[in-house]
Amino acid sequence: MSGVNLSGIVKAYGAVEVVHGINLDVAEKEFVVLVGPSGCGKSTTLRMIAGLEEITAGNLMIDGRRMNRIAPKDRDVAMVFQNYALYPHLNVADNMAFGLRIRKMPKAEIATTIADVAEILGLTNYLERRPADLSGGQRQRVAMGRAIVRHPKVFLFDEPLSNLDAKLRTQMRAEIKRLHNRLGVTSIYVTHDQVEAMTLADRIVVMNDGAIEQVGTPMELFNHPANTFVAGFLGSPPMNQMKGVLTEHGAKIGDTEIKFDGFANGQAGRDVIVGIRPEHVTLAAGEQTSALPIELDLVEPLGSEALLHARFGNDNVVFKADTKGDIQHLSGVGEVYVPAPLIKLFDAETGHALNAKG
Amino acid sequence: MVQGNTPAPGSAIESVEDTPDTLHDTFTDSRGSRLYDHFKREWQIYVMLLPTIVWFLVFLYKPMYGLQIAFKDYSIFRGVANSPWIGLEHFETLFSNDQFIRAVTNTIKISALNLLFGFPAPIILALMFNEILHATYKKTAQTIVYLPHFISSVIIAGIVITAFSPTAGIVNTIIGWFGLDPVYFLTQPQWFRPIFVGTGIWQEAGFGSIVFLAAIAGVNPSLYESAVVDGANRWQMMWKITIPSILPTILIMLIIRIGNIMEVSFELVILLYHPATYETADVVNTWVYRQGLQSGQYDLAAAAGLFNAVVAFVLVMTANTLSRRFSQTSLW
Repeated sequence: MSGVNLSGIVKAYGAVEVVHGINLDVAEKEFVVLVGPSGCGKSTTLRMIAGLEEITAGNLMIDGRRMNRIAPKDRDVAMVFQNYALYPHLNVADNMAFGLRIRKMPKAEIATTIADVAEILGLTNYLERRPADLSGGQRQRVAMGRAIVRHPKVFLFDEPLSNLDAKLRTQMRAEIKRLHNRLGVTSIYVTHDQVEAMTLADRIVVMNDGAIEQVGTPMELFNHPANTFVAGFLGSPPMNQMKGVLTEHGAKIGDTEIKFDGFANGQAGRDVIVGIRPEHVTLAAGEQTSALPIELDLVEPLGSEALLHARFGNDNVVFKADTKGDIQHLSGVGEVYVPAPLIKLFDAETGHALNAKG
Repeated sequence: MVQGNTPAPGSAIESVEDTPDTLHDTFTDSRGSRLYDHFKREWQIYVMLLPTIVWFLVFLYKPMYGLQIAFKDYSIFRGVANSPWIGLEHFETLFSNDQFIRAVTNTIKISALNLLFGFPAPIILALMFNEILHATYKKTAQTIVYLPHFISSVIIAGIVITAFSPTAGIVNTIIGWFGLDPVYFLTQPQWFRPIFVGTGIWQEAGFGSIVFLAAIAGVNPSLYESAVVDGANRWQMMWKITIPSILPTILIMLIIRIGNIMEVSFELVILLYHPATYETADVVNTWVYRQGLQSGQYDLAAAAGLFNAVVAFVLVMTANTLSRRFSQTSLW
């Protein structure tokens, strides 16, 4: 079992604690993405797994073995760095062979391994080139190649796509996913990009301020965020969050009451945050929908859909609407409709999600 | 397809072809006006550059006028312009002069030793500093090795003379501990070169290491982290990452060093040598000094100086070309 287990992992620099007791189980062959804003401790956590940062407290187990005091080279992990970390004086083949030569693998075996991995990554024609002569995407592939040739138990990716342009990032994202499906190696991937997290992960770990906010599959996190942070972090545009007050039949936001069942249970008057995903509203009333009067501010066409930037009471909100090939009909929108089952409620004080009938 | 796009002679399209040039002239500023705009925008930079340009003109370019005395029978009474031309006579004199040949040989030998031992010393020192992890210890060590650079050559020579003194010098004291007789190091020709080169390393290696330390500081830290994950130890990282990464800097410094190969530290030689050690210590610069200033043979000294400069020029050009060809690194 090449799983990774973190229990109570703490990282402190002197008196400053930056990672506060992380608990996480990564199963064998699983692709787990650590996602969160800059400075949330995701890269530090990854570097502790790699052995590049000392673990202040807690236990790190890889493949059932405690790794806290084991040297990085003996952890059987391979890491892909944000800036690729390719040796500029070595060509592609030598870059990929670096770790194998250090480990004194026989030359013939190195050659075969490099050829195989180059074939997988489409680098066969570039083996003699130096990193400076490669495009960003090719460099990224070489960096991955260098990790793959080692046949490690765990792959660690530290924001590997953040230096690529948007188009190449999308392409490389798909390649990483395909590669993972093909190799089936346990992978831990760090990113601040929630789209990367959603598309790549078997499970996402949302981190904030050195702690885990929520762990789950992409759709679990999207549909059932544990708190306002996760709700606001995942989804593009993020979930609209408006202050409101519970009523007997729903919640009141400013002067507007939206109706839904199951939350009140005698809690009328409780302050809440009402969460509505931009894509969950419709322009026509339907079953169990409540109308939200809006003042349309801006329409941003994205092709098949458009973003409606608007004011709703005192809040700035963003909703998504189908363009149906034209945005003219969107310019006069003064009301959107939100289906009751898709409304999310959070405690106004703690930000924690409120369960229906809770 | 291409032929299809070529206008027939005399066609309407041909007459339109003049238009782009006209447009080009209309919308493109002349070189003069662009230069004027450039100076107007960046004049502060040129003002800052001015002292350097003046220094070069006054101390390096203007004296070149006097180089012609290397080909003249120079007399201070007739002046540079009015002294008669004598062709390469001074060069013939130089190359038939045993002392000059000896000075050239000594210069080359000392420079070769300097290159062999003095050039790698700051690189090794920088690599060693880079391995020191304790910050305070590192800073203290660096300060100690930088210090000799800021000491005047006269004091450095004084320290060396004292250290190698046959009566009170530390070196002979240590030799005495082993029951050996004192050695008169600075009067014996065979000791001059090792002492001179060693002194140069002691004085300049620390300061010279700053350039290489700066180059090492520029190496991407993730290269080391990647190597650590790959299993490299510190020794392997130094050989496989640090040295190749700073190789362009090493080559640039080597080219500069080769350009200065004929410029053996004149002051230190003058201060350390002795007629008894001329055999190994007299270099071109000291010979020029003695001939030019002490014997008043300015024209002969100018010819020797010119020879020195030409050799240095050829060496630096060669080193630069070779470096560009084999490592894609060059000064220009």
